[in-house]
Amino acid sequence: MAPQPLGHIPGDVTIAIARDPALVRTVRLVTAAVARRSDCKDAVVEEIRLAVGEACAVMIGSDGASAGSSEQVQVVLSAGGGFHVTVTGRVEGDDPGFRDIGLDPWALLGGLSEDLMVHEHDGVTELRMSWPL
Amino acid sequence: MDLSLETRQDNGRTIIEVGGEIDVYTAPKLRECITNLVDEGQVDLVIDLERVEFMDSTGLGVLVGGLKRVRTHEGSLELVCTQERLLKIFRITGLGKVFAIHGSQADATAQQS
Repeated sequence: MAPQPLGHIPGDVTIAIARDPALVRTVRLVTAAVARRSDCKDAVVEEIRLAVGEACAVMIGSDGASAGSSEQVQVVLSAGGGFHVTVTGRVEGDDPGFRDIGLDPWALLGGLSEDLMVHEHDGVTELRMSWPL
Repeated sequence: MDLSLETRQDNGRTIIEVGGEIDVYTAPKLRECITNLVDEGQVDLVIDLERVEFMDSTGLGVLVGGLKRVRTHEGSLELVCTQERLLKIFRITGLGKVFAIHGSQADATAQQS
């Protein structure tokens, strides 16, 4: 079998976590490690890490509203023609501080990824973001 | 790294030095700290973010909530931050215009006195 070129990740990396705010940091750490292994520049790694953490934070929330739910939040990381991230889950977070100043839940993500796509179906939200390698 | 919070008085203001990560898990601790200080009558706050390594919108929400809380008591909440990674978050969300952001604690306390 021919060796894989440096920086190539054979297949996607999938992370699925319970709706526990304490687990979001783990997702950020894994995401940053995968992005670095994909040869993303340091500044881009930082953006990806922030974006994935932000997506999970909005979906899970800090108010405990989704605690005990059996549904997970899933993050899929893929390197190929860019670094692609898909985050899927139900949006149950609701931070009044952010909401009260008129910012929508994806305000920060929209500024971190130029091609943020948000799809919702049957209450499940899917976020797609990508960055150049 | 978890969240660290240290508070002290300086020139009639209460400085909160925050370290570590302000995220969906740790932000409630910062919210509780601000709430307790305001309840004790300390309504002029300076939050130093220089040792913060990560912050998401949950952290921004806590800061906005804190600002609203101190304003109801005719107080103030100003920030110390020179880290580009955090300043970028404030710019993206437009909150850079909502908060007074200083380059040092000395600047923050001097301009408030």
